[in-house]
Amino acid sequence: MQKFKTLVAAAVAVTLLAGCGAGSAAPEASGSSSPAAASGDTLVVYTNSNGEGRGEWLTQKAAEAGFKIEIVGAGGADATNKLIAEKNNPIADVAFGLNNMYFVQIKAADAIEAYEPAWAAEVDASLGDGDDEKAYWPLVKQAILLGYNSDKITPEQAPKDWTDLWSKDEFKTRYERVTGLGTATAQLVFAGILSRYKDESGELGISDGGWKQVEQYFQNGSPAVAKTDLFARIASGEVDMGQMPSSIVAEREKSFKVNVETVVPSVGVPLAVEQVALVKGTDKKEQAQKFIDWFGSAEVQGEWAQQFNSMPANKVAAAKAKPEVLEFFDGLKQQDIDWNFVQENMGSWVEKIELEYMT
Amino acid sequence: MSGAPARSMLRSPFILTVGTVLTWFIAAFLVWPNANVLIETFFPDGSFSGRAAEKLFSSQRAMKSLGNSFLLAVALSVTVNVVGIFIVLVTHYFRIRGSRILFLGYATTFIYGGIVLAAGYKFIYGDKGIVTAFLLNVVPGLDPGWFSGFFAVLAVMTFATTTNHMLFVANALKGVDYQTIEAAKNLGASTWTILRRIVLPMLKPTLFAVTILSFLTGLGALSAPQVLGGRDFQTITPMILTFTNSPTSRDLAALLAVILGAATILMLAVMSRLEKGGTYFSVSKVSSALQKQKITNPAANIAVHAAAYLLFAVYTLPVILIVLFSFADGAAIQTGRLSVDSLTLDNYVRVLTQASGLRPFVISVIYSALAAVIAVGGLLLVARILQKHRNWVTALFEYLLHIPWILPSALLALGLIISYDHPNPLVGGAVLTGTTVILLIAFITVKIPFTLRMLKASFASVNSSLEEAAAIMGAKTLYVFRRVLLPLVLPAAAAIAALNFNSMLDDYDTAIFLAHPLVQPLGLVIKANTDGAEGVDGVASTFVYTVLLMVITGVTMYLVYGRSGRRRGSKGGKPRGPLAAPGTAAPAASPVVDVRDAQASAPVRVP
Amino acid sequence: MIRLDNIEVSFGDFIAIPQLDLHVEPGEFFTLLGPSGCGKTTALRTLAGFIEPSAGTVHVDGKNVTRLPSDKRQVGMVFQNYALFPSMSVRENIAFGLRVRKEKSADSDRLVRDIAHRVELSDEQLDKNVAELSGGQQQRVAVARALVLRPKILLLDEPLSNLDAKLRHQLRQQLKDLQSEFGITTVYVTHDQDEALAMSDRVAVFNKGVVEQVGTPQEIYDHAATEFVCNFIGDSSALTPEFVAELNRLSGAGLSTAANSYLRVEKASLTPTATGGTAAGGAAVGLSGKVVSRTYHGLHSRYVVRSHGADIRLLVREDGVVHPEAGAPATVYVQPGHVLQYHPDTGAALAAQNRAAQDQAAQSRAAALP
Repeated sequence: MQKFKTLVAAAVAVTLLAGCGAGSAAPEASGSSSPAAASGDTLVVYTNSNGEGRGEWLTQKAAEAGFKIEIVGAGGADATNKLIAEKNNPIADVAFGLNNMYFVQIKAADAIEAYEPAWAAEVDASLGDGDDEKAYWPLVKQAILLGYNSDKITPEQAPKDWTDLWSKDEFKTRYERVTGLGTATAQLVFAGILSRYKDESGELGISDGGWKQVEQYFQNGSPAVAKTDLFARIASGEVDMGQMPSSIVAEREKSFKVNVETVVPSVGVPLAVEQVALVKGTDKKEQAQKFIDWFGSAEVQGEWAQQFNSMPANKVAAAKAKPEVLEFFDGLKQQDIDWNFVQENMGSWVEKIELEYMT
Repeated sequence: MSGAPARSMLRSPFILTVGTVLTWFIAAFLVWPNANVLIETFFPDGSFSGRAAEKLFSSQRAMKSLGNSFLLAVALSVTVNVVGIFIVLVTHYFRIRGSRILFLGYATTFIYGGIVLAAGYKFIYGDKGIVTAFLLNVVPGLDPGWFSGFFAVLAVMTFATTTNHMLFVANALKGVDYQTIEAAKNLGASTWTILRRIVLPMLKPTLFAVTILSFLTGLGALSAPQVLGGRDFQTITPMILTFTNSPTSRDLAALLAVILGAATILMLAVMSRLEKGGTYFSVSKVSSALQKQKITNPAANIAVHAAAYLLFAVYTLPVILIVLFSFADGAAIQTGRLSVDSLTLDNYVRVLTQASGLRPFVISVIYSALAAVIAVGGLLLVARILQKHRNWVTALFEYLLHIPWILPSALLALGLIISYDHPNPLVGGAVLTGTTVILLIAFITVKIPFTLRMLKASFASVNSSLEEAAAIMGAKTLYVFRRVLLPLVLPAAAAIAALNFNSMLDDYDTAIFLAHPLVQPLGLVIKANTDGAEGVDGVASTFVYTVLLMVITGVTMYLVYGRSGRRRGSKGGKPRGPLAAPGTAAPAASPVVDVRDAQASAPVRVP
Repeated sequence: MIRLDNIEVSFGDFIAIPQLDLHVEPGEFFTLLGPSGCGKTTALRTLAGFIEPSAGTVHVDGKNVTRLPSDKRQVGMVFQNYALFPSMSVRENIAFGLRVRKEKSADSDRLVRDIAHRVELSDEQLDKNVAELSGGQQQRVAVARALVLRPKILLLDEPLSNLDAKLRHQLRQQLKDLQSEFGITTVYVTHDQDEALAMSDRVAVFNKGVVEQVGTPQEIYDHAATEFVCNFIGDSSALTPEFVAELNRLSGAGLSTAANSYLRVEKASLTPTATGGTAAGGAAVGLSGKVVSRTYHGLHSRYVVRSHGADIRLLVREDGVVHPEAGAPATVYVQPGHVLQYHPDTGAALAAQNRAAQDQAAQSRAAALP
């Protein structure tokens, strides 16, 4: 009995907590003062792209445009799992920032809904959902790069491709290798490498040669250290190179006072494209759609690019990206990756790598 | 089995009521969700798939990591006991100069842990650490990376997990009748003989209990191996987490979790058996308070003092560095270089002035407090029944209540989602996902095993004649419980609640799945602010959050332990804080309190 | 055998024993008696070596042991709660000291069996856990454990205080028998005067850290040296100055009226012959009074008779004779020599021959009292 009573009391307390929580959040988000109604029309937005002030910036801008939003940040895999887990009773209205690999899973689980945003014509449709019924749409292009310490290594000495890292003695101990495949960046690196060895008859669609490369990758290299940034290790001289997404390079160079150049292999670099989608079953569908229309628009994406050094997928917005970013992406050769093939197999690849190759 | 047979329990309406509620809770929140998640992973298409086992057993890395986890668990069970018993003895048993200061140093593990603790040790012993720099001067050929691998992980985890000893073993020690020590002395026993033959055997039940906890800690080790394990010593938990997050590999995670869970249950069963054979009830009706022992051998005395203070340094240095580094910029933390002029308040300003501000702190405090209080409050009744009635029914319930120890919290959370994302009759047809209650339920369930074990132990030390005395005067079961038993175990319950509270403050694994988006607890905010991939300020923020959490947990421990300890001390009796009571994990603790108080007034007992 | 000279024991600022001198003869059963907190246990623990005195010396068998640890003093001790080791069997408990001494196991076994036999513990009981024993058996284990090392002295710290009345009586005898059998010098601490009187060869009565009196049980009972001892031991009635004055008038005794005076219950009577005998206290005189109450105890009745302002308590044997009921007039017969008198300031006993001499001084002082 006692237990039941306390449980009820607790439930009441938590509900109150929810109420007042929403109330106090609303003024921060919008500056308006109607706390009671706040939770009713607040859009819940799941994203993995809320760090370094992005979440606050977006909340603020959205409020100016008349949207009350609540950002829920989580890593790519976590956000994906959460969206899938909640599909019968969705909490989120909109999800963005996850790349195609994640959205393909989410779509396969039937957790997002097809929608064509107002700016659909301004983006290259091939960067987004490959199906006819398009559910997720591209926002930001992100290159997955191999960077090296340019204070120590000249462009001539630098590796020309990932495979050089383990095939050439001078790099074997100088690159940082991952210790887990939980991050999107790591998965994309392997997508880039394994795609080159596609072989219908091979294990999981990859030839023995491809797996050999993976094996070599893990046999060499210096394992990443938890909570120690690659740039910190470069700065301290522990390693000279490693994987990195394009958007962080400029800022980390500054923070750790190192200079990093990136390698563009002859096959090109894997491009991750952050997407946006409408969550299926939301009861604020109309408003969520409006938000997507607004967020993906050339104007907002342009400002976002200005603010966070990103490369918009929106062609109109691209004009507003920073010149150095534009220049970088201009000369960048995109690796031709069969994303459907990758998406189908990534889970098994990760499993195989974790079980057999990682040490 | 002793105690009442199962049938007689059914005659008590009180037990029937509690039993019904408990059965519902276990069925709804322990068995059903976890059965769901296990069925879904092992029987994906309705038929059993042996794929996971096949994959795992053929993977060298999985087997090695699993082996490492077990190795760590076993080694930790030994080393934590060695270090833990030592620090308990120097703070509570031997007369050591400055033992209060030493206590505070050793108690630092109460307030911090996890990845930051491992990082703190790395600042000191890592390749750029101050101790390493010193050692390199002394031993020129030393490998700067000497502090890594199994040895480093074991060392750090040993020093980080003596909390239970400081709480429970220290208290059990207080329950040892001092007269037995004097008797042994009178019979010519040396300090060492007394320890080995008289004191330690009395602590056995408590030592068994904390050994289980150490074993579990080792089995579930995550951050220390990640930071310090290096290439050769990685454990299984990171792999479980990776596989949990990948829908196609979830069966592997579940299988690994079940393996660890089975080991846990096995350990539990073994320890229960040992405990049964080796529980010593104090035969004395009157016991006298422990007095600190002087180490008579001067050489031994110096050695023990030296070791005590060396350990003190080992315990406190990381904390000091963490606090210092929390004022430094991210780059300084990452490279481990600290200069005075780089210390600013920027990190704190950034963390505390962000849009969400203090709200996550408030949310986490409320969630944790509610969960801690409900878990302890609800289990008080259950623990009493389980402790009093020993038969196959209660044994079954007890094992069921340990389910949360078997599965990692991420899987528990998934189970709750799978089971309650649609109207379910088990909870009155409600949908729980997307509500604020589901996270609370998860928090409560996760804390059940620990709470139950500790509460049961504290009830064990309550003199059963007290209850009978009240019953004979006509008091109803609940009334007896409320007026007689509860006050006796309340200090223990408060301490357990405080520990639960502290451990849930920065929870991430459950919250990420279950938190209501508008009511996000601290763990999610910390993660968002500290993930390496999300910026250099992230690591600095980790330190700030750690320091802030230290403050909250420190205050909690003070409220529960420090204050009441002093209040009781001033009464003239022996300062016997509430944490005393969990140590009632040792039924050897003296059950008679009033006699002791009476004696305390006699000048003889004044040390 | 035991000599405590000028012992002072202090705990920080608190002085538990200011000055203590005690001599215990070989083979003696010597009791330290006093209320709780009086310092008797402290004295025992000083003797045992658990407390180091801040001044003074302790000699055992002529050897100065003041600075020696407990186990080097050849003293065995039985603790208040027996302090049996709960983690060991009875046998292990008894053999503990022998094992510590590294006796050969054959010798040790023999000694344990021998001592167990002498304290009447069976072989079967030797293998039990101590928790399975009754209180009496536990006591025997504790005694055996102390005696197996053949100590010169046995110290007993209130070993009967936790037992029920019946068991206490039974074990009291058992302890005394064991002591006589072993002939060992024994120091016994208790707050129970009954125990002290019945068991001891000599008793030291403690009060606030000071020995008030040392003597045989009869000495301390009949000739309580101080008012404290008089009150602590036995049962007595306080007399008023008027009563004493009347007693003086009737008998011609020179009792002081300013002193604090007491009369043991068994020394007053309602019949002139009952306290007859050799009349060591002089001829009995009768004082008139009135029965305040009477309680019937079968063997005897307890009376309270008010006479000259004093409530005199006395016992009357129920021998079939009709005795007065409450409210009836009665005469109390008292021998003046049985009156115990103490100095109102010092509490010291006034010796009979000194009484008249001191009377003058005491009277003038008493007059000065408010």
